[in-house]
Amino acid sequence: MKKQYAISLLLASSFIIALAAVAGSGRSSSSDVPAPPAIGATIEDFKLPDADGKDHTLKSLMGKKGVVILFIATKCPVSNNYNDRMEKLAQDYKSQGVNVIGINSNYTEPSAEVKSHAAEKHLTFTILKDEGNKIADRLGATRTPEAYVLDANNKLVYHGRIDNSQKTEGITSNDLRDALDEVVAGKAVTKTGGAAFGCTIKRPA
Amino acid sequence: MRFHSLAPAVTLAMLCGVAGVVALGQGTAPTNVAPANTANGAAKTDNSVIRQIDLDGLKTLLQPDQKEPRPQLVNFWATWCDPCREEFPDLVKIDTDYRARNLNFVAVSLDDVSEIGTTVPKFLKEMKASMPVVLLNVSDPEPAIKLVDVGWDGQLPATFLYDKQGKVVFKHFGRINAQELRAAIDKALGNKQ
Repeated sequence: MKKQYAISLLLASSFIIALAAVAGSGRSSSSDVPAPPAIGATIEDFKLPDADGKDHTLKSLMGKKGVVILFIATKCPVSNNYNDRMEKLAQDYKSQGVNVIGINSNYTEPSAEVKSHAAEKHLTFTILKDEGNKIADRLGATRTPEAYVLDANNKLVYHGRIDNSQKTEGITSNDLRDALDEVVAGKAVTKTGGAAFGCTIKRPA
Repeated sequence: MRFHSLAPAVTLAMLCGVAGVVALGQGTAPTNVAPANTANGAAKTDNSVIRQIDLDGLKTLLQPDQKEPRPQLVNFWATWCDPCREEFPDLVKIDTDYRARNLNFVAVSLDDVSEIGTTVPKFLKEMKASMPVVLLNVSDPEPAIKLVDVGWDGQLPATFLYDKQGKVVFKHFGRINAQELRAAIDKALGNKQ
């Protein structure tokens, strides 16, 4: 009898846990996205596949001086406005010890689309597919494009926009590049973030 | 429902009726001015010509009106933003349902100013949208975003509901849930006296 009772209890608890998991899995919007880590926080290593299914760890993509993580999209016009700038950023900072990686967390944009989009837009930096938006959640990413800079010790030193203008001719504040120049020079980052309008990262409801 | 109450960096408040809407115009084309209005601000707005506002215009829009305080709904959107387009019919319906019930509503477009005479009015016409719409034209979006909410980093759409004291009583980033928003509006209107 005791054993039966224990099993029933176990079953009932599992049921309740499962119910709670189902109830908690829906997410209607980015209002429910976890808060991003604070500037200065250490970002733990993670592993994600690229569009070909090959796994990469953050550690394996880290440059000597640091890494830029860009949340990007295939369909977002704002993110697409930045394609050339993001590619140039990757090229310009590669030789300075900073790697640029892209992450696509939109559930509406599958790997095949990420791959064809990168080819079409001539994006040569590594782009990872974040199925289930786990890394977007861990980093509190809400929009595209959105940039994170980690120094060589995985410390978050910048989180925010690339610059102030969707059109290149309107750029007056090159926030991400300014931060990277300081990282490369071994200096503390002066402006650690910046806001700009962008597309909400598409998480499943 | 996710209910967020926060202390914004600035005192955000509502604008009041057509007087407030007119003030948004910053002296630009008068066609956006609501026509003959009722006492409770329940007139439709002609959005065939969209007004543009700058940072000061946004401040004005969020200014409290001490004479006729009302709850205000502000939706930030753009035609390039899919979830914004998807939620727009819900917002048009909310505007229709609540316009006569002392709710002010302004939709702030973040489209590029080059779209002000084309894509934006075309979309609004398709939507049969008759809430006041303005286009925010700023060279740097950061001060505007932080003026609205220090916790907002610019993702669209973003929807804010202010009570008549100008306090944020509901905010939502991403596509709205119409039922949640209506419940929040009902609550804000219920507390109006």
